[in-house]
Amino acid sequence: MAAIYTENLGKSYVRFFGGQPETNALKGLNLEVKEGETFGFLGPNGAGKTTTILLLLGLNRPTSGTARLFDQPVGDFRVHRRLGYLPESVNLHDYYTGRGLLEFYAALLSLPVSIRKTRVEELLHLLGLEDAANKSVSKYSKGMLQRLGFAQAMLHDPDLLILDEPTASLDPVGRKEFRDILLELKRRGKTIFISSHILSELETVCDRVAILEKGELKRVGSLQELSTGKSTRMVLRNVPGVVLEALSRTPAEVTMLNGQITVKCVDLAMREMIDELLRQRGIQPEQSAVETQSLENIFLSAIGTPPKL
Amino acid sequence: MKLVFLIAGDSIRALLHHRLLIALMLVSLIMTIFFSVIMRQTRANITTQFSVEVTETNSPGLPKMSEDDRKKMNEAMEQGESAIQGFFYAASSFGGSLVALFIFSTAVTSEIRRGTIRLTLSKPVSRLQYLLGKYLGGVAVMAAYAVIASLAIYLFSESSHVELSPVMKYAPWLMFCRQLMLGSLAMLLSLFMHPAVGCVIAFVSGNGLYSTGNPLYYLLPSYAPFNVFILILRGDVLKGSDVFLLTVYAVDFVVLMLLLAWGRFRTKEVC
Repeated sequence: MAAIYTENLGKSYVRFFGGQPETNALKGLNLEVKEGETFGFLGPNGAGKTTTILLLLGLNRPTSGTARLFDQPVGDFRVHRRLGYLPESVNLHDYYTGRGLLEFYAALLSLPVSIRKTRVEELLHLLGLEDAANKSVSKYSKGMLQRLGFAQAMLHDPDLLILDEPTASLDPVGRKEFRDILLELKRRGKTIFISSHILSELETVCDRVAILEKGELKRVGSLQELSTGKSTRMVLRNVPGVVLEALSRTPAEVTMLNGQITVKCVDLAMREMIDELLRQRGIQPEQSAVETQSLENIFLSAIGTPPKL
Repeated sequence: MKLVFLIAGDSIRALLHHRLLIALMLVSLIMTIFFSVIMRQTRANITTQFSVEVTETNSPGLPKMSEDDRKKMNEAMEQGESAIQGFFYAASSFGGSLVALFIFSTAVTSEIRRGTIRLTLSKPVSRLQYLLGKYLGGVAVMAAYAVIASLAIYLFSESSHVELSPVMKYAPWLMFCRQLMLGSLAMLLSLFMHPAVGCVIAFVSGNGLYSTGNPLYYLLPSYAPFNVFILILRGDVLKGSDVFLLTVYAVDFVVLMLLLAWGRFRTKEVC
């Protein structure tokens, strides 16, 4: 069963007054996140990430398509028992203390009174909020609000965590602690759906990522699938001049240094052409490696920005 | 139902931390005290004036006060007392209406504006439970206001030795019903438009347009039967059955408004 499933999910905003054209925030998103998977949701600002999350939570309504969580329609609030959500900008009821707020949410989640207190204390300890637990939320810093927001999302130990820019307000130490918690949750088989700009963070925890741009899904796959580029690098030695000449006539990038020839093929067709050429001449590459890309480069190339060299 | 009460409790907590509401309640209280002091002073003046007249007319050598004059004097005294009570009621009722409009029109919209609704609705809470909880929180605050107003009326009548008009014993209840009606309409309208505009429409629709000659009277809700100001001034009697019918009318009205509000809220985009 998929934890998250969307089919042709779309969202448009139409402004009735002022003659503004229709804005397509999300265009026919087809996505499936399996149970137990850690899924990264990437995209530049305005790509439609938060829109998708709001649709998944049933807070906004789609203009097309459907979305399901654990095989239940997103409009069914009962599915929220299995879900924890941390919004991008954590706006909390500031008239509670940190502990009071967690107790309020625990009550909304119908946690039994016997375990409610223990769970709240556990999370306050885990997120380093013990000292601030009795302080009014209105006096919390941004980082503390983010931690408290994360704590409320984990109160009922949900099967699915939807995190929208979870580390935006955290310092490097906080980010590291957060990553450790995510890895622990992942180890315990929880499904995690993270939307983030911090690619290095996703790289370390995500099994699969999706890249969204201007409301369209550009790429989706495991980090290995995405990072395994189509480009291949071959190292050749003792290549006869005639072969070198033939290689230089191909579109492949050929460089020579200290008698070592490096041939870079940017796509599969080029690779096949070079393979054929070498086979005809009876030359075996000394090394042949498919080039991997960093998530940042995958992301940048998916959204049409030249990757970093 | 437990979740509804939890939301209601949260709503009360939020309202108690709302500076504007506290200011509004204080203004309303000050207004009520101000009216009662003025009215008490007026009554004292009338009493003094009549005492002087009575003393003068009862002086030796002057003709004694006739029975008719004594009757007129008593009537004038009663009217004065009714006016005091009437204005006291009007002040607390008007203040209560402002508080009700504020509470109910911002109950849901302020959470949408601040974004706190996202977390609440991401929990297993239905929109109906949320809406009912928010309304119930407002009802609790308005009930507290009605209790304070009743106590004030009682203390005022005790301290001023004013005999309460027969209608006055029902006045706080009818005022409470009226404020809940006003609040439910304001809450409904706030889901369609800016809360301030909703408040004005809710207030005007039931008050300013009240006239049987006005066709809108038959379409728009009317709070007029709940306004006992004129009855207090006239010293009329309100039967228990009338109060019962008015209560049923208020309940019907509130239920209808909440159903319409739910119809709107269940499909409303909250972010």
